[in-house]
Amino acid sequence: MPISESSDLVMIDRRVTLKWLMGAMAAGQLAACGDGAKGVTWAEMEAIKAKGYGTDPDFNNTVAPWPLTMTQAELVAASSLADIILPAEGDYPAPSKLGVPAFINEWVSAPYPDQHKDRVLIINGLAWLDQESRARSGAIFASADTAAQKALLDEIAYKDRVKPGLEKPAEFFSRFRSITLGAYYTTPEGWTEIGYVGNQPGTGDYPGPTPEAAAHIKAVIEGMGLKYTAP
Amino acid sequence: MTPDEPHDAVVVGSGAGGAMAAWVLTRAGASVLMLEAGRDYSPDESPMLNMAMDAPLRGVGTPDKRFGYYDATVDGGWDMPGEPYTMAEGSEFMWWRSRMLGGRTNHWARNSFRMGPYDFKPRTRDGLGVDWPVTYDDMAPWYDKTEKLVGVYGSNDGLENHPNSGPGVLQTPPKFRVWETFLKAGGDAINIPVVAARRAILTKQIDERSPCYWASACGRGCSIGAAFQTTTSLIPWAKTTGKLTIATGAMVYEVILDATGKATGVRYIDKATGSHKEAKGRVVVVAASTGETARILLNSKPNGRSEGLANSSGQVGRNLMDTVGSNISAYFPQLEGRPRYNEDGAMGLHAYIPFWDYKRIQSGEVDTPRGYHVEIGGSFGDPGMGVGSGLDGYGSSLRADVKRRYGSRIGFTQRGEMIPNANSYCSIDTETKDKFGIPVLKFNFAWSDNELKQVKHFQTSMKELIDKLGGTLVSEPDEPAKAISKGGEIIHEVGTCRMGSDARDSVTNQFGKTWDVDNLYLTDGSVFASKAHKNPTITIMALAMRSADNIATRLRTGEL
Ligand SMILES: Cc1cc2nc3c(=O)[nH]c(=O)nc-3n(C[C@H](O)[C@H](O)[C@H](O)COP(=O)(O)OP(=O)(O)OC[C@H]3O[C@@H](n4cnc5c(N)ncnc54)[C@H](O)[C@@H]3O)c2cc1C
Ligand code: SF4
Repeated sequence: MPISESSDLVMIDRRVTLKWLMGAMAAGQLAACGDGAKGVTWAEMEAIKAKGYGTDPDFNNTVAPWPLTMTQAELVAASSLADIILPAEGDYPAPSKLGVPAFINEWVSAPYPDQHKDRVLIINGLAWLDQESRARSGAIFASADTAAQKALLDEIAYKDRVKPGLEKPAEFFSRFRSITLGAYYTTPEGWTEIGYVGNQPGTGDYPGPTPEAAAHIKAVIEGMGLKYTAP
Repeated sequence: MTPDEPHDAVVVGSGAGGAMAAWVLTRAGASVLMLEAGRDYSPDESPMLNMAMDAPLRGVGTPDKRFGYYDATVDGGWDMPGEPYTMAEGSEFMWWRSRMLGGRTNHWARNSFRMGPYDFKPRTRDGLGVDWPVTYDDMAPWYDKTEKLVGVYGSNDGLENHPNSGPGVLQTPPKFRVWETFLKAGGDAINIPVVAARRAILTKQIDERSPCYWASACGRGCSIGAAFQTTTSLIPWAKTTGKLTIATGAMVYEVILDATGKATGVRYIDKATGSHKEAKGRVVVVAASTGETARILLNSKPNGRSEGLANSSGQVGRNLMDTVGSNISAYFPQLEGRPRYNEDGAMGLHAYIPFWDYKRIQSGEVDTPRGYHVEIGGSFGDPGMGVGSGLDGYGSSLRADVKRRYGSRIGFTQRGEMIPNANSYCSIDTETKDKFGIPVLKFNFAWSDNELKQVKHFQTSMKELIDKLGGTLVSEPDEPAKAISKGGEIIHEVGTCRMGSDARDSVTNQFGKTWDVDNLYLTDGSVFASKAHKNPTITIMALAMRSADNIATRLRTGEL
């Protein structure tokens, strides 16, 4: 049974959470009874049928028109995972403070084929994360202690060290990380951290590299025994 | 005037070729009716300074908007609902359409490399393909006029087969950015040139169009007029003559001939009402794009002739060519952690690699008969959804990796010449009609060994350059047969109604006038006799200007 059929919950009250956990268990059982040699596998999900923004969208109203589909429990798991992927550091907040979980919701709810592929990975992946966490430490992923969370992620987060059988969860993690990073670094906070200073209309000639940037590349080029030509 | 009244000229299409023809003709005093299948459009609609974060899905491409949410293309793309095209078994072809006023000029990358002397006489050089009916010297003044009018930045480097423009024609190119200077250092060491690119972008004000303000992707459309598109230039200029009538939502499907074999106009479907209409003119100019122009001719069946119109040579739809494309990208540790500054610049090429290996082709040391150029991309851009690609793990080390890697990756894109071959053409699919009831195009497409060898040359050369600069490939490129783009994917399709000096093996003469119908002209990429590696649009416009000049003279003398 695809997990989507058990994710028709919206509110996070106890009853609902339980219902959701049963769904997650069902997904886990599905995985467990899969072909042992193949490891964890997930079933296809039904495609979202909502309308897209169309071939001629109105740029004065850029809100995504499709309904959001993630459950509260899924959002909790997504939020916690995103914040472990990019923990807050100095001036730079955690992803959950910059709306990343909401963006992931927009992404997996979109009625387009690429996003559908990610939806199958992410919705099943988040359920797997909770299910696995409960099996190991008795708590859903978001409530597990940091050491337990990391122990779990270490089995799926590094491409050369994926635990055999967990290839699918590793694929989920990799996509989730990629979307998290994309969402994070396209915000003003992300630009500041990474050093993007564009989108500033200016007059006159394009100024080119700052003196510091030019001196730096000159030293690099000459250090390689090559010839530097000033721009 | 209204679309129902007879005009001096009926022009089909408002893209590069159609708008240039309309402007030249109206300026010469002719009344012009422009029929455009798409909707009215102005880049005032462009969300110039919106960021990715303001768009659904951070602006990534979707089936609704293949090149991203903000891309200027409306009602177009690889697939258009209700307007299919088909492919012969075993063929793959991608056909990009932009059904809107201004066509694909609203979002093209503006790379504008004029063709050179070798490019107009390819058969004379290596015995392959056909020669053009014009020489480079015939075309040079038209390139100068076009580049000056359009506004093209670049430099005159005097390189073999990359001709200089006339004095005072080019605008000053923007400075190289750090990574471009870095590439130049590597190229200099192994004799691969890295020079200023040429793009149809203003760096100085001309007329009412402002110079580039160094922000905002040109593919969104440029509302300040710096990036050339017909909707901020040729079309409004033609309107100010008072001689241009535009009908949008006008889907042309055939050319009408009278009993004497002269064209009297075209038939079109008015999309708003669904009614079939006729537009009349003394001359008919078709510039609906390479594929669509062939489709209109093939669907026009004067006196029930099954081969279509202007097709006594049998060449209509034949000789379909696209640019050869493939990619390599690499990380350069030497660029990691470099000082930040604003690298948006002209949001595209400041520098490029022109083809350099002509001598070794001539001597036989290199086995690919035709060349290519390399378009390069790097920069500290808006990080976008791809910022995490190639990264591993999680936690604070991941944060550090993102910062370290930013701006250290360079992409190399091959843009090469394809030689026409008998397996690449389009014809009418008699089984399939679009939502208007018009029979659709069916594509056949195949690369030949010539193109595959060229991909190999590109891969070898770029690996050498990357190596010289201490870079590491993001991934080893596939073998050429897998690495090469699909037909049409580079969106430089040309050649379906080629010009020539002999009516037996070409569709038009050197002025785009069809051999079979004296007052029917073609002024888009369909008339190309070869597909040099240089991006086609500046040549489309130079040819269209020359052809329209010929039409204007003939209208004036009463010949038409
Ligand atoms: C993303 C992108 C980047 C590009 N970058 C470059 C580049 O850097 N350099 C370069 O040289 N080229 C580039 N090109 C290619 C360039 O856009 C085309 O070569 C050029 O626009 C072709 O001009 P055209 O007049 O033949 O056709 P178009 O510009 O496509 O115009 C044709 C017009 O005819 C209309 N039309 C079609 N059918 C009908 C019909 N039946 N009845 C009435 N009207 C009709 C269309 O709606 C359209 O408006 C790029 C293209 C794309 C999509
Ligand atoms: S980069 Fe310059 S030319 Fe391109 S859209 Fe922006 S302002 Fe216009």
